[in-house]
Amino acid sequence: MLDLREGFLTTRLDVLLNWARSNSLMPMPMGLACCAIEMMAFAGPKYDVARFGSEAMRFSPRQADLMIVAGWCTYKMAHAIRRVWDQMPDPKWCIAMGACASTGGMHRCYGVVQGVDNFLPVDVYIPGCPPRPEAVLHALMDIQEKIRNEYSVALDYAKGEPRPPAPPVRPHVLSPEGDEPVAREVLHRPLKSI
Amino acid sequence: MAENERPKTHEALKFYFTPVDPPRGDELNPHAKATTYVPEVVEALKERFGDVIEEVELYAGEHTVRVRADKIVEVCRFLKEEQGFNYLADLGGIDRFTDEGRFEVFYNLVSIERRKRIRLKVRVEEDNPVVPSVTSVYRAANWNERECYDMFGIRFEGHPDLRRMYMPEDFEYHPLRKEFPLLGIPGSLPLPPQTPGGPLTYDPFARAHGHVPPPGFEEPPAEDEEVSEH
Repeated sequence: MLDLREGFLTTRLDVLLNWARSNSLMPMPMGLACCAIEMMAFAGPKYDVARFGSEAMRFSPRQADLMIVAGWCTYKMAHAIRRVWDQMPDPKWCIAMGACASTGGMHRCYGVVQGVDNFLPVDVYIPGCPPRPEAVLHALMDIQEKIRNEYSVALDYAKGEPRPPAPPVRPHVLSPEGDEPVAREVLHRPLKSI
Repeated sequence: MAENERPKTHEALKFYFTPVDPPRGDELNPHAKATTYVPEVVEALKERFGDVIEEVELYAGEHTVRVRADKIVEVCRFLKEEQGFNYLADLGGIDRFTDEGRFEVFYNLVSIERRKRIRLKVRVEEDNPVVPSVTSVYRAANWNERECYDMFGIRFEGHPDLRRMYMPEDFEYHPLRKEFPLLGIPGSLPLPPQTPGGPLTYDPFARAHGHVPPPGFEEPPAEDEEVSEH
């Protein structure tokens, strides 16, 4: 049987696969409100998400692997969103774009879900009302970094040595004091201890 | 035209202004327009319907006529067919939260030819909030009445399809009533299942209470978990 533990072949395959996945994300634009306008700007020529390989917005869940929930979500719409999410093939990721999708935002009332993370496994939250397209690009880069740190082929995560994290996809944020980089843990959640 | 001469200003650059009513000269309200001041229509209504007209209010240069609820269709038909108010601009409910005549339904009517506006109101009691539907006169009232029914629970007799407009069909409350809490009633609106085949989630703050929806793919097993050998 093929050995899928962490070895040269599997880790190299992982790198290759994660590279391919992270640079060809196909977003499912779940545009629900005004954040969708910023999402269009993010896909448009000025901010140009094509630089990150995610310009192919897919309106069919079967062809998408990144859901961007942009805007406030009502209880009625939540069922439709979850249904679309369940139809997306694995592996898939989710961005909650804007204050409303993340927490309910200013819509603190009976009809609006107070954060889509009550029914979706959200990977990245974007603050802002609405967020700038740059913020959405930042979230996409976060998703890319997350994908590059994932195990795709190697199944030996339970027994092998912990893998060193993948090199960052962008320069580390520098602390205001000087050249000392901000700790990695501040920037993103480290991998589950293995 | 000489060779280097520029063409005259293009036709399309003409501007057309929408005519605006001149101010009516009301000393109390300098912004009052003649549009909403319709004493002749109020007189015609009084003459035709008599004591069906319960109250006539003039506030800020706007006429509001309150009529008896059971005659609202006749009043609307009269205004539409004989006074030319052929456009129902808005219809909605008001919860006055009083003991008597708690709910009000208002009708904003516009006469496009005469450029006049009038507002009608009817009052209904809390125990039996039933108003005759004006969909037979104004077809535009259909969705407005559905919305009013959804939000206030006022039933419209003779409405062709009185369903809820916004809230789910099985929702039990009417959210714009004053006694309804702003954040809703926990458990009245279900969230989707946390897993594809799972039961509905009745906790509106599932995440805060530790119910985290699992990601679709299989998560790496924990350290102490047995992993089958390949």
